[in-house]
Amino acid sequence: MAYQLYRNTTLGNSLQESLDELIQSQQITPQLALQVLRQFDKAINSALAQRVRNRVNFRGSLNTYRFCDNVWTFVLNDVEFREVTELIKVDKVKIVACDGKNTGSNTTE
Amino acid sequence: MQWKPKLYRSVIEDVINDVRDIFLDDGVDEQVLMELKTLWENKLMQSRAVDGFHSEEQQLLLQVQQQHQPQQQQHHHHHHHQQTQPQQTVPQQAQTQQVLIPASQQAAAPQVIVPDSKLIQHMNASNMSAAATAATLALPAGVTPVQQILTNSGQLLQVVRAANGAQYIFQPQQSVVLQQQVIPQMQPGGVQAPVIQQVLAPLPGGISPQTGVIIQPQQILFTGNKTQVIPTTVAAPTPAQAQITATGQQQPQAQPAQAQAPLVLQVDGTGDTSSEEDEDEEEDYDDDEEEDKEKDGAEDGQVEEEPLNSEDDVSDEEGQELFDTENVVVCQYDKIHRSKNKWKFHLKDGIMNLNGRDYIFSKAIGDAEW
Repeated sequence: MAYQLYRNTTLGNSLQESLDELIQSQQITPQLALQVLRQFDKAINSALAQRVRNRVNFRGSLNTYRFCDNVWTFVLNDVEFREVTELIKVDKVKIVACDGKNTGSNTTE
Repeated sequence: MQWKPKLYRSVIEDVINDVRDIFLDDGVDEQVLMELKTLWENKLMQSRAVDGFHSEEQQLLLQVQQQHQPQQQQHHHHHHHQQTQPQQTVPQQAQTQQVLIPASQQAAAPQVIVPDSKLIQHMNASNMSAAATAATLALPAGVTPVQQILTNSGQLLQVVRAANGAQYIFQPQQSVVLQQQVIPQMQPGGVQAPVIQQVLAPLPGGISPQTGVIIQPQQILFTGNKTQVIPTTVAAPTPAQAQITATGQQQPQAQPAQAQAPLVLQVDGTGDTSSEEDEDEEEDYDDDEEEDKEKDGAEDGQVEEEPLNSEDDVSDEEGQELFDTENVVVCQYDKIHRSKNKWKFHLKDGIMNLNGRDYIFSKAIGDAEW
């Protein structure tokens, strides 16, 4: 079962919104929407694992940290994200991280 | 790392193709599937100004969606209008609520939150003429030297700031005249509003309506850029309650500076017309007030309304970013390490939304101090 982690991303949210609209207009059932989302989870997990190959560094100050249900949630302040090509600065960022050690969660397709 | 249209597009394609079977199994038409894809892509395009998707049809859909946005903007405008309107209504007593509060907002001195009901009560009870009322309300417009304070009895006392900073209070009747004079100068700015409001606020607190208000001189300070209303004492009932702390915070600095020159209405002591009783009572409260004054000044009018306190709250989330997006990183962790207060993050497979844009990484390593 792939992580549902990526549903709260631009990609995932736009999918959820679209599904909601279709449910509203009763073109699909909620059940169907759920299945679509699950499929999305698989696809995005797979894509990230296989199609992305780049590295980022970041540095900042840790404001809060939380570890619950094997999920880390951090809030950092004054962070700089560096990649080879560019630098991104933000005043505040929230990081949500699921356990990636035994990522058998990637799509098995 | 940047938003990769190709990647997203491929994900969409994969998902759509994968769910096609599901759709068909459910007896849902292919058309709906296409609609889902269109909706999805359009939303993606909306969220970032990237990547024309395929057909013009989709662009048209985008335009339709964009039309909704201006409506939202209009709401914002309305909101602003409402804020500005109250100024015009100042002269009317009935609109005290509207006047004072919005004025304070405009004055950029956040804190004034006066309980409307109380103000109104005072206003109604006041013997002030309409002009006086107007003057009072008009005060927020920014007359530095003159402050009007509503006593629990409903009388408006004007607190005048002398050049040397001494504050004097005189009864409304006198103030009427003064107010009239002052009004023209006061105008825009709403500097005073917060002060007045703050001043007024505590009064209702627990003062019997029958007591006169004695405001001791020098309790209201207008420092150069800051206007602080030091707790004023109310005769009779509880001096503690009578304290009025208005910390006129960062009101437009220009105005206070300007206000010093023109009208300086000074009334010695507690006002010539004040009764003997008031005078006596004033003296009693001197010490208490001075202490409170320092305290209240420091606390920014905490004595006053509870809503004011809410503004004291220091929240990390406020004003951190101008962008609507909260910057989020969704990823998986390989290892999280901590040594004393030094944290190290080893992350992978993440999608980041920073400053409104999407980024992706396969690995991320970070350091932070807690």
